[in-house]
Amino acid sequence: MSDLLHFAEHRLQEMALAFMFLVYTVRIIWLLRFRAARERQAPTGAPDTSVSSAVLHSWANIAMPWAMESTRKKFFLYLQFVVFHLGVAAAIILSFIIPYGPGLLEHRWVVRLIQGITAAACVVGVMRLARRVANPHMRAISSPDDYFSLGLLVVWLFFAVLAAPNDTSREGPLLAFFLLTAFFLVYVPFSKISHYLYYPFTRYYLGKTLGHRGVYPVRRRPRAV
Amino acid sequence: MSKRKEQSHRVKVVLQRLREKMNRQMAGSLVACVHCGMCTDSCHYVLANPDDPTYAPAYKADKIRKLFKRHLDWTGRVFPWWVKAEGIYSDEDLEELKDTVFGKCTNCRRCSLNCPMGVDMATFNRMARGLLVSVGIMPEGVAVVSKDQWEIGNQMGVLKEDYLETLEWMSEELRDELGDPQFTIPVDRTDCEIVYAINPREVKYDPRTIADAAKIFYLTGENWTMPSDCWDMTNFGLFSGDDELGGAVARRLYEKVIELRGKKLVMSECGHGYRSTRCEAPNWAQFDVPFEMESSVITMLRYISEGRIRVDKTRNTEPVTFHDSCNNARSCGMFEEPRELLKLVVTDFREMYPNRAENFCCTGGGGAMSMSEYTPRRLKSARIKAEQLRATGAKIVATSCHNCVDGLTDLIRHYELDMEVTQLVNLVANAVIVEKKVAVPAAGPPKPAPLAGKTILVADDEPDQVAWLSTLFADHGAKVVEACDGDQALELARTHKPDLLTLDLAMPGKSAGEVFELIRREPQLADLKVCVISGRPELRKTIYDRSVKPPEGYLDKPVTEERVLRSVRKVLELAHDDGK
Ligand code: SF4
Ligand code: SF4
Repeated sequence: MSDLLHFAEHRLQEMALAFMFLVYTVRIIWLLRFRAARERQAPTGAPDTSVSSAVLHSWANIAMPWAMESTRKKFFLYLQFVVFHLGVAAAIILSFIIPYGPGLLEHRWVVRLIQGITAAACVVGVMRLARRVANPHMRAISSPDDYFSLGLLVVWLFFAVLAAPNDTSREGPLLAFFLLTAFFLVYVPFSKISHYLYYPFTRYYLGKTLGHRGVYPVRRRPRAV
Repeated sequence: MSKRKEQSHRVKVVLQRLREKMNRQMAGSLVACVHCGMCTDSCHYVLANPDDPTYAPAYKADKIRKLFKRHLDWTGRVFPWWVKAEGIYSDEDLEELKDTVFGKCTNCRRCSLNCPMGVDMATFNRMARGLLVSVGIMPEGVAVVSKDQWEIGNQMGVLKEDYLETLEWMSEELRDELGDPQFTIPVDRTDCEIVYAINPREVKYDPRTIADAAKIFYLTGENWTMPSDCWDMTNFGLFSGDDELGGAVARRLYEKVIELRGKKLVMSECGHGYRSTRCEAPNWAQFDVPFEMESSVITMLRYISEGRIRVDKTRNTEPVTFHDSCNNARSCGMFEEPRELLKLVVTDFREMYPNRAENFCCTGGGGAMSMSEYTPRRLKSARIKAEQLRATGAKIVATSCHNCVDGLTDLIRHYELDMEVTQLVNLVANAVIVEKKVAVPAAGPPKPAPLAGKTILVADDEPDQVAWLSTLFADHGAKVVEACDGDQALELARTHKPDLLTLDLAMPGKSAGEVFELIRREPQLADLKVCVISGRPELRKTIYDRSVKPPEGYLDKPVTEERVLRSVRKVLELAHDDGK
């Protein structure tokens, strides 16, 4: 392994991770400095609703495609979302396995599994990019960051597929994968990709508000047709 | 070197208020959007305008988000263009924002419930409205209504004497109906179980709902009262985003209930009023409310389930569907109670799809009915609701909200649906069994026709409507004169000196507003009473914005014989003459 690859897999990642945590910490402190509104109303809604069950419902929302009309009606998009995020998770795990647990990749099935998931996510990423470019509604709401983040994630996932076998005789894909990983760690806190940091936060507040008002957990009667 | 753009004074104030108003929940919603577009199709504006991406919730939200990112979020300052963080500078920028936050969103919260990230667009859209209102940038109707609520104490500028007179009038109507000559709507009684607060629309356009509620309270033997002032349970602060107005309005009502030592505040059917008074206003007013608050829907349901009133559902046999008000369903969790109640009082209840928290807005929400400049947009977006209604095959759509009554009535007319709008209280009152104390009338001379001796000028450009009203009035003893446009109405008013003019608002020739003002300013016509009968609620302001005495009566089309006669008798002050 070249010195450059070793640096990219270890020191560079550690520095980038430290930077990401630092910025995230600052970000969370920044968010928490906004005042939390005090709730004075007595709860409304069915007596069996509670704020805690509503918050749980709100957090679990992402795994309940039946809970929202949008995910019910756009189930294919929901599936794309699942595949894409599984792929990203697999690529992140890969970025830790290669430097800290390369033995795992000696199992062929582990490599194939990671490659399968990241490849599927890469294809989905291309589809999502195409939708963002082709659909006028998506174009209207997209920022340069939206295109860039998605495009770069597709490239990163592509290199994750190539890097998964951890074949140090072909350093190119590994180097590209780790340099991109480091770039993401630094870039993510400033981009939309940091949404996973906000998800628990926004959904907690929405769950709390709507739970207090008896709207969450959502009760829905099936459609007649 | 390029010169830094200067911010206008109003922009500076808006940005200062943005900093003050921002809370953690809103900041979360403003940073969390990933522009995934999942919310797009949940908005009725988008569905009705599929080729216009500027209606997409995320697009509209970005108009507000860009300010937050540019001015409050330090990540947006690093590369503003990259993340669509943009500043605003001029009053024109604020006007553009107004068009989005007031004219393209009813704050219905449907997108919020369909966002995987939990972005609550409706909440920060309301906040943005409030920022603009604080610098005087708002639709004219919002300014007028807010002023009335600040100054007169209710949204429709109803004067105390008119309110009390309406209660007295409804008491008289009920004396006969209930067979109880002692009946009166209690006002300002202390230590009651229930203090009942209403929407001013009931006084102005729909007093029957007050009578229906009073009838139900009477039949249960409830210990209840209405306040003589501070009786408006609606709150325009919810729509204008003005927390100060919202807090002040609600505080008046809370303090009134405390003054009367009422145990519970029951609110008539009004989605935004219920949401404001029950849920949001304790926060706006920073007031810990020491009594219970309840919607009259829940009260009526309890009365029936406790056997305090008996109902006969076979009196309501037309097919009925239910429209969930956004505020009741998506912001207060009230969707099962109205259904339970309806199933007790109608024989043919038909669900509308989607429903409950997924229902579509009536399109009159968020104060849209007061913003006449956006009426064409509103009616276009109403196509979605019209399709929902039509699919039910129902003849009656019941709803628990006065705003929805107006919004639905308007779209039903626009899309020519064969349907009527009603409230649950009307259906319950119709189904309730009255064990009447029958007073045997003493034989006497036959009563004269109720409108005998009166001359009524009917001004309307629809021949069917003219014929219908003329026949109705003539059958009840009136002499009728007919006009089909504004100029003719004015001419006939001068020559015939009628007692009453029924005035349509959309006629050819001189506009109804002009005719009305000329009549009011002409001393020879000083005694002429005017009752507007119109199917165009957005034209109300053409009458009410004039600096002359308002019309004595107002009826929304479609009208029934009963409503027209009751209103005309009231306007002519004949309501008490014949004991009806
Ligand atoms: S669904 Fe939520 S995250 Fe997606 S575009 Fe709409 S508001 Fe943004
Ligand atoms: S709150 Fe309602 S009207 Fe406003 S953008 Fe969302 S769905 Fe559309």
